[in-house]
Amino acid sequence: MMKQYVLKRFFLLLPTFLGITGLTFFMLQLAPGDPAALKAQSFTELLADPQQTEAVVTETQKLYGLEKPLSLQYLLWLKRIVLFDFGESYRDHRPVMAKIAEALPITLLLNALTLLVIFVIAFPLGAYNALKPNSFHDRVSALFLFLLYSLPSFWFALLLIVLFAGGDYLNLFPLIGIFSDGAERLPWYGRIGNLLWHLILPVIVLSVANIAFLSRFVRASLVEVMKKEYIRTAYAKGLSPFQVMVKHAFKNALLPLVTLFGSLLPALLSGSVIVEQIFSIPGMGRLSFESVLARDYPVIMGITVMTATLMLISYFVTDIVYGFLDPRLRLHERRGL
Amino acid sequence: MKMRSHFKTFRCCGSCHLRRSTSPLARGAPGIQRRRHPDYVDFKMTSKIFFTLLFLLLTSCTYRLERDARELVMHLAAEPATLNLLTYSDHYGAQVLGNIYERLIDVDAKTLTFTPKLATHWEISADGKTITFFLRENIRWHDGFPFTADDVIFTFERILDPAVDAPRLRQQYLDVEKLEKINDYTIQFHYKRPYFGAFFTAGALPVLPKHVFKAGENFNAHEIGRSPIGTGPYRFVSWEKGRSLRLVRHEEYWDHKPQIKGIVFNIIPNGTVAFQFLKKGGLDLFELSPMQWEKQSSSHSFQERFRKYHYFPPNFSFIAWNMRRPLFADKRVRQAMTMLLDRSSIIEKQLGGLGKIVTGSAYPLSKDYDTSIEPLPYNPERAIALLREAGFDDHDGDGLLDREGVVFEFTYLYPNNSNFGKKIGLLLQRQLQNVGIRMHLEQLEWATLLSRMQKRDFDALSLSWIPPLQADPFQLWHSSQADRGSNISGFRHAEVDRLLEEGRTLFDEDERAKRYQKVHRLLYEEQPVLFLFQMPTLAAVSKRFENVQAYPLGLKPREWTIESTAMLKAW
Amino acid sequence: MKVSVIILLLMTLTALAAPFLANDRSFSSLLSPPIPYHPNSTDSDAILTPPNRSHLLGTDDIGRDVLAQLIWGTRISLSVGLVAMSIALTLGIFLGGIAGYFGGIWDLLISRLIEIFSCFPTFFFILALLSFVGPSLLNLMIVIGGTSWPGIARLVRAEFFRLREEEFVKAASALGAGSFRILFRHLLPNIVRPLVVIASFGIAAAILGEASLSFLGFGVRPEDPSWGSLLASGEAYWDVAWWLTLAPGSAIFLTVTAFNLLGESFRNR
Repeated sequence: MMKQYVLKRFFLLLPTFLGITGLTFFMLQLAPGDPAALKAQSFTELLADPQQTEAVVTETQKLYGLEKPLSLQYLLWLKRIVLFDFGESYRDHRPVMAKIAEALPITLLLNALTLLVIFVIAFPLGAYNALKPNSFHDRVSALFLFLLYSLPSFWFALLLIVLFAGGDYLNLFPLIGIFSDGAERLPWYGRIGNLLWHLILPVIVLSVANIAFLSRFVRASLVEVMKKEYIRTAYAKGLSPFQVMVKHAFKNALLPLVTLFGSLLPALLSGSVIVEQIFSIPGMGRLSFESVLARDYPVIMGITVMTATLMLISYFVTDIVYGFLDPRLRLHERRGL
Repeated sequence: MKMRSHFKTFRCCGSCHLRRSTSPLARGAPGIQRRRHPDYVDFKMTSKIFFTLLFLLLTSCTYRLERDARELVMHLAAEPATLNLLTYSDHYGAQVLGNIYERLIDVDAKTLTFTPKLATHWEISADGKTITFFLRENIRWHDGFPFTADDVIFTFERILDPAVDAPRLRQQYLDVEKLEKINDYTIQFHYKRPYFGAFFTAGALPVLPKHVFKAGENFNAHEIGRSPIGTGPYRFVSWEKGRSLRLVRHEEYWDHKPQIKGIVFNIIPNGTVAFQFLKKGGLDLFELSPMQWEKQSSSHSFQERFRKYHYFPPNFSFIAWNMRRPLFADKRVRQAMTMLLDRSSIIEKQLGGLGKIVTGSAYPLSKDYDTSIEPLPYNPERAIALLREAGFDDHDGDGLLDREGVVFEFTYLYPNNSNFGKKIGLLLQRQLQNVGIRMHLEQLEWATLLSRMQKRDFDALSLSWIPPLQADPFQLWHSSQADRGSNISGFRHAEVDRLLEEGRTLFDEDERAKRYQKVHRLLYEEQPVLFLFQMPTLAAVSKRFENVQAYPLGLKPREWTIESTAMLKAW
Repeated sequence: MKVSVIILLLMTLTALAAPFLANDRSFSSLLSPPIPYHPNSTDSDAILTPPNRSHLLGTDDIGRDVLAQLIWGTRISLSVGLVAMSIALTLGIFLGGIAGYFGGIWDLLISRLIEIFSCFPTFFFILALLSFVGPSLLNLMIVIGGTSWPGIARLVRAEFFRLREEEFVKAASALGAGSFRILFRHLLPNIVRPLVVIASFGIAAAILGEASLSFLGFGVRPEDPSWGSLLASGEAYWDVAWWLTLAPGSAIFLTVTAFNLLGESFRNR
């Protein structure tokens, strides 16, 4: 029965995948803006005979494969990606995979660090608040966290830059990029330190909103779990509240995080456009933004495929895990389908 | 509670608390083994990692990086897509490549005349259809190979090759019938028709080193796009993707070597952040916005470290009316629109006195510009009178002008990264509202705007144009360009057409100027577009550099000298 | 909780009364607007002036009064939040409800739809849609709403799945109630509370989303004064005009906090 369930879930991924890629593909092409025309954009050219311009644009379209009918283009593209060939970018003719491979590690690193910071701060905070719900410090930290959560990220980022990196007030941090000029000359531990130094401000901006969310979530979960009977048993056994929390409550409260982690992987890889734009970090967010503006179809499709695939995989895994844990869900699914 | 994502996809579906409550594990049902969940977060481990990183971070503070004071650091608002001389299509690439590559001719910054560069001298035949360039003989590429006519021929052939992704360039050379190699250091352009601008186009031909390319290679993806090789005063050193590009002075440069040892381009997309970086000491040269020039660079510390320059390169901004639409077909309406915008007041109050009103499309310092023409004054009463003449009046008493039952209402488009377009639009909207015209504003990203422009799907467009030095107004104002060329207003005028066609074939500057000045006068009369301003470029340069002069076409870092040899802090 | 409600009520009132609070023309001879500026009226002599007697919150770089823009901006921000969320709720409840209750082929199709839309790189979607249909206020609302519905749909679907097996539903069905009656009268009221929680947080997120889109240049038209566009245009002048960012920033901040606290209090009840 389990095998059937797994297989069924797996095959259902296919139409979703086709749906995502097809929708993106057609939407891109139907959106106004033609990459060939953008390249040939000739508002300032001498001797621009419109017939010649048109001929040249058509040539470029042929070069990009855009002159074929849409459905044919889509099918050709599908055929290629089955072989893992994502084509070349229109902007610089480098393989799409190479461009993604450049931007991905940076975004991964940034997000991993952000996650680290979030967990390290949010868990103790949430747990501490859950020990004494509705106490003074619970209320104060709730307010403070909400304040942080409600700031528009770009405003907060610029505020940090101005205060700590701008040269007008404090000048503690660098402003742009992920490495200083000349960082290659440093020893390996110096390079890591330099990298971290550059990433402090972006990580702060990215983590602030999510710390609020996660710590409230942890708190709410823990408070709920602490009311259960087996906790009272633990108390009866003589454990202190702290020990109770760590040994028993935590594990159960974290279960819902399975779903959260389900969307973690793709979120790790998508990158934040705003933060990357402000801090000049060449990650996935910036790549996606620039590609959309330049109508660089191959890159956009490549990023879509990657994000979609990873999300689907993680949903799939999450569903399987839940099906494993809770047999009733499996039955429900079967009845439903 | 939604997990805030700044467009990431952290998403709480909300169903987690439901699943939790149904899961037997969470309900604490006895008898079910509570196993360690695969995603169980090991708190101890994460905090160990955290503190290790923190330690590394703190110890790194002991390493302070420095940069050479004889290097010039600039910024680019976006990363160039490629450094391939033929396929690049953004002006960020142009900025970098301008230091690495050279053309056959150059323009003198002071006199604005053509000077020899890779070519030592040239000959234009009597009928204007043949241009011969004699190339300099002692030039070597950055990798040591000699520069010859073969390189020029090779590059030309690549430009015309449809497999090469160079549509913009190709358009410029389609009128060349043949490029002939006379000998190793002489080439000859044969044009199909005589055209005065041909010399500039031919002389501006980009040149790539032939020896770097092998037969059958994919030109568009060639290595040279990531590490260019040229003949210019600076050599390419490195490109840190997304971060910076570095050039170093070419020690065997054939001409006078610049004093600046190297140039670094930092990629900083956000303008405010870039300005901060300048103030912090991370940049040496920066283009200021009018507000930054006026209000944000007057602090003592800024004045101590930077000098400000301004110059007027060829450029002008305008609002193009779509003359194909009934609203703007009548020239009285267009004249009225010009008179409803108080351009001098805008310059004075909104642009801090920077900027000059222009009345035509030619470069004001060139002979083609008729300086005797006075801009139409700001005169709302006269404008209303003109509109009334054209049939627009408030016939139905609703406060809005109308004609034959149709209200005077239109949409003004501008690119979404143009603060200037937005400002002018808002000001114009307000002025028009006072006389009963309803104008809507719409901001579009460039790709969409371009598409609308090409389909002629607009009422009014705000744009600026950067003409080349020897501008040919043909593409802007000739009726043949109205449907599919750069004549986006759709301007058609028999006399202008005749003058433009004549001017094209005249090689004598003064003869041409006579025609183009007449065109200027006719444009003034017809107002196909609302000419706005020529804006100055405002620059801040670090005081470290001496001998900095602001020429009409810009600054020339190659002339600058540096006294200090101290090391500066690097960020 | 009470504080949030008061704040939100004040905001709503301001939004509704905006044309009477800040305008350069009065509608009646008795009451002239306390703030005699329309958000789009420009005063070329008062560019980037700090808060003073005539301009309580100063002016921006074109000479428009900031307080007037703030007041009118309430309409835009609140409506973006509310309309976007309504669209998301409608789609989510409708689709999720059908999938959860009827199951079968409907669930198959709708679940795929939910997966497709939630796997979409949100940003592309928004950008492409905005390029396609034009960056107007309505389109912004539709686009933000159109990207938030999957979460709601999943919740509703899961809940309906669960509730479907409950006794009261079986009883109603046995009594002869039609499917839609069961859906609306019996199932829907049970999910109101979690939906309110999601809605509150969603509105807050929509308002922040509008601000971020304005920052990237995809926001509302410049003649519609929104807090986001005010903030976005003010960030370049942070050092000479602190009021340009403080005013809209605080407004956004206050509203978003109010919504978030509202949602949180519902969740904890």
